[in-house]
Amino acid sequence: MKKKFTMNWGSASTIIYPALFGIIMLVMWQSGLLNLVLHTDTNTLPSPSRINAIIADNGDKILLNLKATVLVALFGLFFGSLLGYGIAIIAAQYKKWGAGGITLAAAFNAVPIVALAPVMNNLTKQFSPSVDFRSMMAKMFVVMIVCIAGMSVNAYRGLTELKPFAADLMKTYAASNFTIFKKLLLPNSIPYIFTALRVSLPGSIISALVTEYFSEKVIGIGRQIRENIVTAQFATAWAYIVVSCLLGIGLYVVLLLVEGVVMKNRNKNKG
Amino acid sequence: MHMTNTEDEITMSDIGMKFNNGNEEITALTSVSLHVKKGEFISLVGPSGCGKTTLLRIIADLLTPTSGTINIGGETPSEARLKGRYGMVFQSPVLYEWRTVLKNVELPLEIMGIPQEKRKERAEEMLEMVGLKDFGKSYPGQLSGGMQQRVGIARALVIRPEILLMDEPFSALDEFTRERLHEDLLNIWRRTNKTIVFVTHNISESVFLSDKICVLSPHPGRLSAVLDVDFERPRQMAIKNTPSYSAKVVEVRSSFEGV
Amino acid sequence: MAQLKKNRTTALVTLVWTLGFFIIWEIVAFLVQASPNIRSPEKVLPHFWKIIATAFDGKKINRTDTAIQLVWINAKVTLFRSAQGFVIGSLIGYLLALVMSLSKIMKKIAFPYLMIIQMIPILGMAPILLSFTGDIDTSRIVIAAILTFYPVATNTLAGIEAVEKEKYELMHCFAASKWQLYMKTLIPASIPYVFTGLKVSAPLAITASILVDTLQGGVGLGCLLSQSLKGAMTRYVFWLIVVISAAIGILSFVVMGLFEDFVSPHKKAERATRR
Repeated sequence: MKKKFTMNWGSASTIIYPALFGIIMLVMWQSGLLNLVLHTDTNTLPSPSRINAIIADNGDKILLNLKATVLVALFGLFFGSLLGYGIAIIAAQYKKWGAGGITLAAAFNAVPIVALAPVMNNLTKQFSPSVDFRSMMAKMFVVMIVCIAGMSVNAYRGLTELKPFAADLMKTYAASNFTIFKKLLLPNSIPYIFTALRVSLPGSIISALVTEYFSEKVIGIGRQIRENIVTAQFATAWAYIVVSCLLGIGLYVVLLLVEGVVMKNRNKNKG
Repeated sequence: MHMTNTEDEITMSDIGMKFNNGNEEITALTSVSLHVKKGEFISLVGPSGCGKTTLLRIIADLLTPTSGTINIGGETPSEARLKGRYGMVFQSPVLYEWRTVLKNVELPLEIMGIPQEKRKERAEEMLEMVGLKDFGKSYPGQLSGGMQQRVGIARALVIRPEILLMDEPFSALDEFTRERLHEDLLNIWRRTNKTIVFVTHNISESVFLSDKICVLSPHPGRLSAVLDVDFERPRQMAIKNTPSYSAKVVEVRSSFEGV
Repeated sequence: MAQLKKNRTTALVTLVWTLGFFIIWEIVAFLVQASPNIRSPEKVLPHFWKIIATAFDGKKINRTDTAIQLVWINAKVTLFRSAQGFVIGSLIGYLLALVMSLSKIMKKIAFPYLMIIQMIPILGMAPILLSFTGDIDTSRIVIAAILTFYPVATNTLAGIEAVEKEKYELMHCFAASKWQLYMKTLIPASIPYVFTGLKVSAPLAITASILVDTLQGGVGLGCLLSQSLKGAMTRYVFWLIVVISAAIGILSFVVMGLFEDFVSPHKKAERATRR
C-alpha cells in the first residue's frame, strides 16, 4: 500500500511541481507583483486578463496574420525538409563527395538569418509582379534554407549510420538500390528525421517571424509584434507574442504526438 | 557463538538478497554461507541469473543484503570500502576517456588525497606491473580492449588493497588476449599475495585460475557446491590438456543444479 | 598513416565544394547580369569578386570611413555584445544543469519550462525585450543570453545523465565524496556535450545581436545593414555586410570547435590513432 503511494507521487510530482510554479507565476503576473519585480509598468507588461481581452476583440485580424505566418513556416518547413532529405540521399550515394557537401550545408546553419532575409527579398523582386506572392516566396526561401541545412545533416546520418552488417544483409539478398532504400535506409533514418524536425519546426517559425520584419508586405505575427511596439501599442504587441508562443507550443506538441505514433514500436525493448 | 578465524578474510553467513520490482519480489540469493581465506584465489561460477555478480556486489558494498551477515576481516563491507581495503575490476574497463592512462591509474589516489609525487610513483609502478610501462601518456581511446582492461587492473591495485574483486573482467576479450591476461593475473597474484574473488561464467577459466570454486545455481540463486582445485602452482597452460583437468571441469559442471 | 590520408581527403573535398559554391555563384551572377529584364543586377546577385573588391576599396563611404573600416567598427560592437550575452547565458545554463542534476525537485520544475523556451520564438520577442530594457545594449546581451542558455542547459544535463552506471559505482568503490564525484567524473564527462550546445548557440547569439541592431538605429552590423539598403551607399556594401555576417557566423562555429580541441586533447589523439 505504501509502495504504491510513493510510486504514484513520483510520477505525479513531475507534473505538479512545474504546474505549481506556473500558477504562482501567473498569479504574480495578474496581480502586478511581477511588474514590481521587473521594474516595468502595466503599459509595457500588461496583465494577462487585458491581453486576453485584446485577443478576443481582434480575433479576425489575428487569424489573418496567423495564417500568413503559419503558411510560410509550414510550407518552408515541408519543402526545405524534402529538399534536405533529397540532398542527403544523393550525398549518401556518393559518400566520398557527399560528406563535404553536407559540411557545406551545415555551414548554412551558421549564417545569420538576418543576413539572408534582405537577400531573398531582393531576389524575389524579379520573380513576380504581385507583392503578396513575392513576399511570401521570399520568406519561404529563407525558411527553406534553414530547414535544408538541418534536415540534410541529420538525414545524412540516418542514411549512413547503420547497425553493423545491416547493409551487408541486404546485399546477400541481392536487393536493388531502391529496395535497400525502402526497406533499410528510409526506416533507419526516421528517428533522425524527427531529430531534425524538433529543431527545424521552432526554427522555421522563428525564421518566418524574423523575415517578416524585412518583407515588403506588412503581414504576419512577427511583423505585427514589431509594428505594434513601434507605435507603442504594447498590449496588442503582447497579444501577438502570446499567439506566437501558443503557435510554437501547439505545433511542437503536434510534432511530438506524430513522433510518438510513428515511433511507437521502436523503443519497446528499452528499460 | 561465532568464532572469527584470523585466517579468514571474508566471512558470509546465511546471506540472502531479495529485489523488489514494484509488483514482484525476486530472490537473487538464498542462504549463502562462505569463508574466504587470506591470500586465496576463489571463483564464483554460474550461468546468468545465479546471483554471482550480486554476491560480489554485496562484498563490494554496492548492495546491502536483505538478510544474513558479512564480515570482511572483522569489519563491515562499508568500513572496508571506506578504508580502501579492496579494489574492484568491472566487466568493462570503465576508464575516463579524457584522462591519460597514467592519470586514470592515479584517480583513486587523488580521491584519497595522496600527494602528487607519490601518486605518480605508485601509478607508474602499477603500470609496470601490468606490462604497460610505456603507455602512461596515451589516452584510453588509443588502446586495445585487453590493454584497457590491464589499466583497469592497475587502477584497482594502486591503492594497495588486500582484496581484489573481479566481475567477469575478461569475458569481453578474445581467447588469445584472455589467456595472456590469465598468466599476467596469476603472476601479479603470486607477487602480491592478495585475496582474489573472481566472478565468471567460464568453467575452464575458473578451474585454471582458482584455489577454490563456488558453484552457484539460479532460481533462486544459491550455493550448490564449493570445490577445491589442487593443481600445483604456478599453473602452466599445459595442464589444460591433462585428464585430471578435464575431470575437474566435469565435476564443476555436474555440480550445477537445475540447469 | 591511413587516417592521415583520410584527413587530407576530407579537407580536399571540403575545399572543392567551397570552390564549387563560389563558381556557381559567379555563373549565376553572370547570368543575372546578362539578363535583359533585370535593371540593376547587383541588387539580385553581384559578382563575388566585386564584393571582395569593395572591401579593399579605399574610397570613403561617409565622411570618415571606407567601407571596410565601417564594417569593422560596427562588427566589433555587435560581436562584443553578443559575446557578453553568450558567456552569461552559457554560465547560467551550465549552472542550471548542475542544479537540475543535484536536485530532483529543481529538475522537475525546470524541465518543462526549458522545453517551452525551445518551442517559443524568442527571436520574435526581440522587439518587446528592447522596450522592456529600453537600452539596446542590454537587450542584445539578454537575448543572446537566453538563446545560449537553453542549448547549453539541455546539452549539459544530457551529458551528465549519460554517464554510465559503472562510473558511479567506481566512485563509490573509491569512497569518493559527492564533490569529488562531480569534479572528477560528471563535469569532465559532460564537456563534449557542453560544446555541442555552445556550437549551436554561438551563431545564434550573433544572429540575435544583429537582429536587435535592425530594430533601432545606432552602431552595429544590423544597423549598418538597414542603412546600406536605403541607398546611402553602393549595393556592394550591403553584400559585403551579408558576406561578413555569414563569415562571422561560420567562424564562431569553427572557433568553438578549436576551443573544444584545446580543452579535450584526448579527442584529437583518438582521431589520430583510430584504426
